[in-house]
Amino acid sequence: MKRRSRLAGLAAVAASAALALTACSGGGSGDPEGVTTITFLSWTGEEQMEQVIDAFEEDHPEVRVEASYAPPVAEYIQALQTRVLSGTAPDVFVIAAENKTNLIEGGHVLDLSGEDFVEGVEPFNLETYGRDGKYYGLSLSSWAAGYIYNKDLLAQVGYETVPETWDEFLEMCQKLQDAGITPFLESVDQMPTTVSAWIGAKNAEMEPSLDDQIFDGESTFAEQWTPALEQYNRVFEEGLMSKDVVGLDGDQVSAEFANGRVAVINGGPWFIASLREANPDLDFQFSLVPAMDESGTPFAAGAAAPGYAINAKSDEAKQEAAKTFLGWLAEPEAVELFQSLTNDVTVTDDFEPPVDPSFEPMVEPIRNGQLYLPMIAWQRAEDVLNVEAVAQIQRMIRGEVQPEQVAKALDTKLAAS
Amino acid sequence: MSATTTLRQPALVPGGSGRSWLSRPSGGWRQTTVNKAFLLPAIVVFVLLFVIPLAQTLWWSFTDFTGYSPEASFVGLANYRVIMTDPSMLAGLGFTLLFGVGTTIAITLLAIPLAVQLNKAFVGRNLVRSIWFFPAIPSMAILGLVWRYILSPLDSGVLNTALATVGVGPLGWLSDPTLARLSVILVGVWGATGWHAVLYTAYLQSIPHEYYEVAKIDGASARQQFFGITLPLLTPAIVISTFLLMTGGLKVFDLPYTLTNGGPGFSTYTITQSIVVSGVGQGRYGLASALAVLFTVAVAALSFGQLALTRYVERRFV
Repeated sequence: MKRRSRLAGLAAVAASAALALTACSGGGSGDPEGVTTITFLSWTGEEQMEQVIDAFEEDHPEVRVEASYAPPVAEYIQALQTRVLSGTAPDVFVIAAENKTNLIEGGHVLDLSGEDFVEGVEPFNLETYGRDGKYYGLSLSSWAAGYIYNKDLLAQVGYETVPETWDEFLEMCQKLQDAGITPFLESVDQMPTTVSAWIGAKNAEMEPSLDDQIFDGESTFAEQWTPALEQYNRVFEEGLMSKDVVGLDGDQVSAEFANGRVAVINGGPWFIASLREANPDLDFQFSLVPAMDESGTPFAAGAAAPGYAINAKSDEAKQEAAKTFLGWLAEPEAVELFQSLTNDVTVTDDFEPPVDPSFEPMVEPIRNGQLYLPMIAWQRAEDVLNVEAVAQIQRMIRGEVQPEQVAKALDTKLAAS
Repeated sequence: MSATTTLRQPALVPGGSGRSWLSRPSGGWRQTTVNKAFLLPAIVVFVLLFVIPLAQTLWWSFTDFTGYSPEASFVGLANYRVIMTDPSMLAGLGFTLLFGVGTTIAITLLAIPLAVQLNKAFVGRNLVRSIWFFPAIPSMAILGLVWRYILSPLDSGVLNTALATVGVGPLGWLSDPTLARLSVILVGVWGATGWHAVLYTAYLQSIPHEYYEVAKIDGASARQQFFGITLPLLTPAIVISTFLLMTGGLKVFDLPYTLTNGGPGFSTYTITQSIVVSGVGQGRYGLASALAVLFTVAVAALSFGQLALTRYVERRFV
């Protein structure tokens, strides 16, 4: 009897566990009539996204969003990848540079082209997470990095802003150095802003694009990248930027700038708050990266923010509800709310985002899609090539390899991937 | 009590019968079965958490598994070929070995004399022991970030500012490949020396005091006492400490990742960073698995070699 009751107890525990699991995996099977629950893995932090979801649910009581959160980048990519692999991917998630190839090639994301809500979005953002004319991510904002300059230090050598060409910029650096001012520091723990902007400017003028030619095998990194790398290397060869930048990260460079120890650094809007906090008297301004030569144009490094994607394997009702959610996110009121919470520069045509006055020179390129980031533009092996490029550029700065060898190393990596 | 004696006996008698305790039933087959049943939970955990993942990793190493779809094609030894011809992975292997061997030797050479000093009676001994032990408490990732500021290669870096007061530098601690390697090893040594000194202190306390008294009566100097008594009797501690250091050193990830991110170039790149970057960052789980398999084999070979060597030393001196 005792044995039987123990078995019965075990069975009860097993049954309740099974019920609990069923309830979890059902994902809203207990929804009230007329309400569809969709799951969402958010890239944006809970503090901001919760307010956005509350506003959406108020406008659309027929859809309930069950959000979970994973901080970008590596943790998010890992969390999503695990869920995709186990067949428990959320109905809405974020497609980013790091996972777009796998998500698109694996057929995990729904084609959004033709949906009304993509109409007013900057094509550059849609194309970033698209392929063959199809759009897989609704990217509503972009970021850009350029140069940040200390107005007072530049004024000491007679400049009001950063010059428009690289030769003129190096001339200005020389004058700053002669005046005892450290002219320029650029963190190279990521792809250098200068190199990204130059390749981007070149890419924008080419048809087919520079990357199409490289990835179709019609051209090579050695052919397209070597001139830019040679020009970039001049700043080190001429002793205008310390080779020690290979041991610095963006925060250390920004700290030097905040303390008035360097005239120009590379950076993006994420530095504004910390610079103002560290040195409220600092008078600084953003500028585009000077053109590589007389024929080029100043450009910015940057990319479309990760886009919202719909799980291609969700059932039809959930996909419809997910489209309602994405459509609402692209509406001006939602964009305004999101912008006020995140300070992102949004790119929909019916809302003009307010920005810090120092960042104004960068807004037009962002909203017109005049941005470029190799890792996002590359069509495959993005992270492999990026890791290789950063390491090889660091070696070039140290004088261990020549610019052409850096570009050739990328060709070798691409061929092996 | 008797069970303990039964268990320890074969190990204590070198060149003994060689019969394992498992093959010596002490209470009939039923008792033996019950005894062996106690091993089941450990075996289940071992199989679930070690054997199955290892087998799965081995299988993935022969495929192009991306981590996004359970479907993966068999690619034979292609992943292993990529590893053998990839300069970044070979560089990672080189620095990993340098870090493992370098920190093991340096920490052992520093921790033993430190333990001897910390074992002496002096005012504030516990406080000094705690201070030495402190670096072992915070995560190495946090320490890496802190040291990144201290070792900044700029004139304004903490260490360079201090060196400037004596007319030295500035030095490119994290921007020069050789100094960067040295910096990562030194921070690793700084972080773990105190912990291993405490380990040695525990063993030092178990050495009977009478040995030293007899040695003193016989006129042995402090140096002779150290090499004649302390060091030989510390051999078991050295075996454990160096084993932990070597295996931990070969698996290092957090410290170089936060201190130098593997740079400049690939000069402080490690195998574990390669595995994480290739697997998670680049969705090349097949390649990362092949790297993990090779790494497991290398670590196992080194560890067994080291164990064999230290056992030989132990037999020779104890």
